[in-house]
Amino acid sequence: MTRWSLLVTLATVAAPSAVGAAEPPAKATPEQVEFFEKKVRPILADNCYSCHGPKKQNGGLRLDTATGLKTGADDGAVIVPGDPAKSRLLKSVRYENDFKMPPKKQLPAEAIAVLTEWVKGGAAAPEDAAAGAVAADPKSHWAFKPIKNPPVPQVADAATPIDAFVLAKLTEAKLAPAPLADRRTLIRRAYLDLIGLPPTAAEVEAFEKDADPRAWEKVIDHLLASPQYGQRWGRYWLDLARYADTKGYVFNEDRNYPFAYTYRDYVIRSLNEDKPYDQFVTEQLAADRLNLGDDKRPLAALGFLTLGRRFLGNTHDIIDDRIDVVTRGLMGLSVGCARCHDHKFDPIPATDYYSLYGIFASTSEPKDLPLIGEVKRTPEVAAFEAEVAKREGDYKAELQKRYTATLKKLRDPAAVSDYLRAVIELRKTPDAQVGNAVRERDLLPFVFNRWKAFLAPQFKGWSPVYGPLLALADLSDKVFAETAVEVVAALAKDPKTPVNPLVLKAVTDAKPATFKAAVEALSAVLTAKPPEGAPSRDQAEVFKVWAAGGPLDIAVTDFDKIQNRADRDALTAAQKKIDSFKATNPFAPPRAHVLADKSSPFQSYVFLRGNPGNRGPSVPLQPPAITNPARKPFTDGSGRLELARAIVNPENPLTARVLVNRVWAGHFGHGFVRTPSDFGVRSDSPSHPELLDWLATQFMQDGWSLKKLHKLMMTSTAYQRSSVTSAEAFKLDTDNKLLSHQNRRRLDFEAMRDSLLATSGKIDLALEGRPVDLFKAPFTTRRSVYGLIDRTNFPGTMRAFDVASPDTHSPQRFQTTAPQQALFLMNSPFLAEQAKALAARPEVAAAKTPEEKVTALYRVALSRNPTKAELALALEFVAEDDPKAAFGAWPQVAQTLLLCNEFVFID
Amino acid sequence: MTFPHYSRREMLTRCGAGMGALGLAQLLGTSGQLTAHAKGADGLNPLAPKKPHFPAKAKHVIHIFANGGPSQVDTFDPKPALEKYAGKPLPAANLKTERRTGAAFPSPFKFQKYGQSGLEVSEIFAHTAKHIDDICVIRSMHADVPNHEPSFLLMNCGEPRQIRPSVGSWVTYGLGTENQNLPGFVAMCPGGFPLQEAQNWQAGFLPGIFQGSYVDTRNTDVEKLVEFVKNKTAPGPAQRKQLDLLAKLNAAHQAERPNDPQLEARIQSFELAYRMQSEASEAFDVSREPKHVLEAYGPGDQARSLLLARRLVERGVRFVQLSHGPVQPWDSHDDLEKEHRRLAGQVDKAIAALISDLKRLGLFEETLIIWGGEFGRTPVVELPTPGSNAGKVNGRDHNHWGFTVWMAGGGVKGGQAVGATDEFGFKAVENPVHVHDLHATILWLLGFDHEKFTYRYAGRDFRLTDVKGNVVKQVLA
Repeated sequence: MTRWSLLVTLATVAAPSAVGAAEPPAKATPEQVEFFEKKVRPILADNCYSCHGPKKQNGGLRLDTATGLKTGADDGAVIVPGDPAKSRLLKSVRYENDFKMPPKKQLPAEAIAVLTEWVKGGAAAPEDAAAGAVAADPKSHWAFKPIKNPPVPQVADAATPIDAFVLAKLTEAKLAPAPLADRRTLIRRAYLDLIGLPPTAAEVEAFEKDADPRAWEKVIDHLLASPQYGQRWGRYWLDLARYADTKGYVFNEDRNYPFAYTYRDYVIRSLNEDKPYDQFVTEQLAADRLNLGDDKRPLAALGFLTLGRRFLGNTHDIIDDRIDVVTRGLMGLSVGCARCHDHKFDPIPATDYYSLYGIFASTSEPKDLPLIGEVKRTPEVAAFEAEVAKREGDYKAELQKRYTATLKKLRDPAAVSDYLRAVIELRKTPDAQVGNAVRERDLLPFVFNRWKAFLAPQFKGWSPVYGPLLALADLSDKVFAETAVEVVAALAKDPKTPVNPLVLKAVTDAKPATFKAAVEALSAVLTAKPPEGAPSRDQAEVFKVWAAGGPLDIAVTDFDKIQNRADRDALTAAQKKIDSFKATNPFAPPRAHVLADKSSPFQSYVFLRGNPGNRGPSVPLQPPAITNPARKPFTDGSGRLELARAIVNPENPLTARVLVNRVWAGHFGHGFVRTPSDFGVRSDSPSHPELLDWLATQFMQDGWSLKKLHKLMMTSTAYQRSSVTSAEAFKLDTDNKLLSHQNRRRLDFEAMRDSLLATSGKIDLALEGRPVDLFKAPFTTRRSVYGLIDRTNFPGTMRAFDVASPDTHSPQRFQTTAPQQALFLMNSPFLAEQAKALAARPEVAAAKTPEEKVTALYRVALSRNPTKAELALALEFVAEDDPKAAFGAWPQVAQTLLLCNEFVFID
Repeated sequence: MTFPHYSRREMLTRCGAGMGALGLAQLLGTSGQLTAHAKGADGLNPLAPKKPHFPAKAKHVIHIFANGGPSQVDTFDPKPALEKYAGKPLPAANLKTERRTGAAFPSPFKFQKYGQSGLEVSEIFAHTAKHIDDICVIRSMHADVPNHEPSFLLMNCGEPRQIRPSVGSWVTYGLGTENQNLPGFVAMCPGGFPLQEAQNWQAGFLPGIFQGSYVDTRNTDVEKLVEFVKNKTAPGPAQRKQLDLLAKLNAAHQAERPNDPQLEARIQSFELAYRMQSEASEAFDVSREPKHVLEAYGPGDQARSLLLARRLVERGVRFVQLSHGPVQPWDSHDDLEKEHRRLAGQVDKAIAALISDLKRLGLFEETLIIWGGEFGRTPVVELPTPGSNAGKVNGRDHNHWGFTVWMAGGGVKGGQAVGATDEFGFKAVENPVHVHDLHATILWLLGFDHEKFTYRYAGRDFRLTDVKGNVVKQVLA
């Protein structure tokens, strides 16, 4: 009784509180919850959880969650609510069946009474906090249901279907929409959104004056047709493709992906061409399986899969990363959990994970990457090729030198003796232990196995060369010296066990005192220089050991299996010289980091608890059931092409929704679903589910055209509303989920840097090319999307400005405000350079009066004229200009305009 | 095509949601967000100080990372039994480590008892040993594999290969930092990067702001320590004047755009940066210390780094990690006696000075000091590997089966040894403490229940300790 009271007391303190959990289910009343928490859970926690709780689930039974209590053990339910007599749990605690629980000591009667009372009362338990939002059947989760084409609500004053959906919700919430933004705000918004660069003052004024009813549409069309569009939106795609120019941490090899940039250029080009999204996706998964015609550049699309981290060469992790970029990136589905166990919330069983695993395990990366462009025969290219050939020659020479030296050692009598002895002495050792024994003897498993394979047939019958050794192997050390020669001589006399005369002579001459010495004597015979001319029969018998494919004939292609650390390091270094040269030489012709299907697909199976050595059931290669309910096992090679088709199949409930949500976020600051790469059951529910489906339908009907989708969104009134937030909207809908107004957005790092360069007049808008270091002086003026992304040492400035980490797929960027950002803007030489250049622009420098100069600065930096107050402030600032100062007041004013909130926020 | 933009509130919610039911309320509570959304920059700053799950003594961490793997039997885990077998095989077969190993190799160093506790410490840490009564020596550490790369990541990020936030990032995410004018998490390594480079202090899937700021403490020039900390074009009053102009322009802009906390946050960030310029310059300038303090720490990169660590912690920096040097300096496969003596000699006096100094400043009780490598070394000698080490047969191989980490300060019960290795110091046998357990304990000392301290990413709540880890209660005061 004392123990029991103590339990209850503890429980009132320790029982998890239901506060903060999702709504309790209708069936568990607050009283029931209290009863469970105060009385039932303590008993279970103290007596059952250690074997049936979060860490262990013996017999598949878990008693610490409502779900576990309900579903029971592997063989079915253990509780029948309301019926203690039928509840196996109660029989067990009463010790009335074979499963007497807890096994060590029966529960006190009071505890059993409590459990009985609880079952009688319906066995109610509070809903699991974590699973609170889970629908009864995950398949009924909205995102897994087919995309419908919902009817457009009838709303007066709705300019477009999008507005009808948005206004319907606003009316319902009694929230007034904001007015339209003015034209200056609008055009700036459109420019920064679509191309990541601000309009000039002249462009703003032209739009302000344009009376054409199609004026807005013309701006959008103009921007979508600009190559700068792909440079802006391509970057978003690179975020989700976890793009980088390097492999991350590697041991000794070159860390660059020499041709990663061809993938980046492919993405930008595809967007500019408005390549249909379904084709875009298909190429990125399986371009090698498509009929591309003469233009092989789309092969670079496979960088989507290949350009991830290398995880110290761990294949399983590399595949996991590829599965992740495909599932989260394209379908908003996180399947990583299913690597170790069925997904806890989403309907992704481990079998689905390993179906995908099998697809990627059935592919390999060819060492020679294909050329994807025409190679111009310029002297530079010829010089490049000559240098590569020279370095490859160095590599081959190094390889040959080391191979020859290694082979010489393995053919040395001492080595031959070691292996022979090992095979004979370990012939009775269980297979499982042989590997370790070989390593302990400091022998190479590869060579040992060849000796073993060579000797196996010899040991089956009688071998005149090796037979005598077997006989000697059984002699004890004590008698060895005295009897070894006799034994061999005796064998030789017996016609059933002839001994090769060369072997007989060697043993007789050597008078071996130990078995080791006997083996050494034989090894000397085997490795003696073969005679010139035709060998005698005896000699031929001995020198069989040299035959092709035999233990002493190891091809150079097998050198990786016999090299030591120094060899490996030297060869890696030689390879690195080739790779780094290719990666950094501007004349290396472009290639694609491709994948190819292996000749036979991997027969995939579940790795139980994620452990490759723990084999579970076999699984076919196929897409996850939830994405393609009508799936069939793939039959074409690795199945990558079929996987791509399954992903862009219009019946797939996720692909179009996920993409539309991402594009919407690009125009409105956030998507309908605010977890853009997780549409699973624990994700945020969409703010406008019908609109999302309507847009997804339109998108597919429009031939998966991204440019049409942009235009569809941007021509809505919702997009064109002012971002000024009314107090009412701020109060009722702080996060603006209902879109009563536009969201003010801060430029990301790339758009900010590009805008700075555009404003200073220095920007280089060129397309394509090798990555450039953005942070090394003299500073490049290329657009930020061409900046080098080094995965291992990601530039601090990029990190400070929340540029997507290239480590794994990035669902969306964080947006932090930190003083390190301000330090870069205030103090970096890059900013100083842009400020100076801005102050020295012709339109500024040409201004005659300080007033005109300020006005010119404002027009360039902010695409407008200064107000009177602003003019006064600037004039006051420059009034004290010290003409001798290195940096002067004018560049300071210019820099101030580049730093101000107006410059970096999109209204 | 992800477009950025978590709203500030989302950001807070996201961080908060991972911290259990209490987290959000605390985050919003401390920042005043719950009641006055637009109150100011503090509420928008992810580095603003936050309370942990429960009150704790430790508020700062200094991790002295002896990268490369110091030998336990030569430092804090004396094994006289090795003498008996010197030059001979141990009675049981050697455990498998990275390379081949041979006979028992007794420590070339003398051990001596110190303090009230009488714990034995090697002569190469004689200065540190004077504080032994404040130190808790965990002698039963173990890790997963005998290789540097995965073990570095396991020790620093709790996972050997995949992308996970580092311990310092988790701590800074959970607690914010006390001085907004300095980075919250500083990762030092004099002369270059340790093995695995920036991954050792990565933010992983946490926002980049929680990543460690790398500082090459071989530099003495503050500008090389903190990027862009000085204005070279128009510094001083000219810059102040410029920032005043900026503030006026921004104020006018903001007046027309009410109800948007992002604008205010960015305005404040410039003022923060302005103060950071002077404060960081001052904090990173070790030469401002009085002569007797400089002398107490002694000369060299290690000493300067440790003194810098103290200056930073004193100013409210949350987490400082100091790697000994580039790559893996403690990796004494050969010449162990010479190398370990040299390496310990570089830090021993400074560690002792650091402890005294923190005590003098009243900071010892709120600073958790952790010393140790990614694993230890074998008590047996390493045999030459073809084409690899010099084959001097006077060093030790990596050893993940058993090694030593010690802790001191904030909430740690000093003057005790926790757990034990076997008779020869090969394997942790008594109260084994895995790296996950160490992490669980560190978090506990800082006020976090490691099982509830989570971050939602890719549909899952991630923890520093994954699904493992137990708090080592014996460590706690």
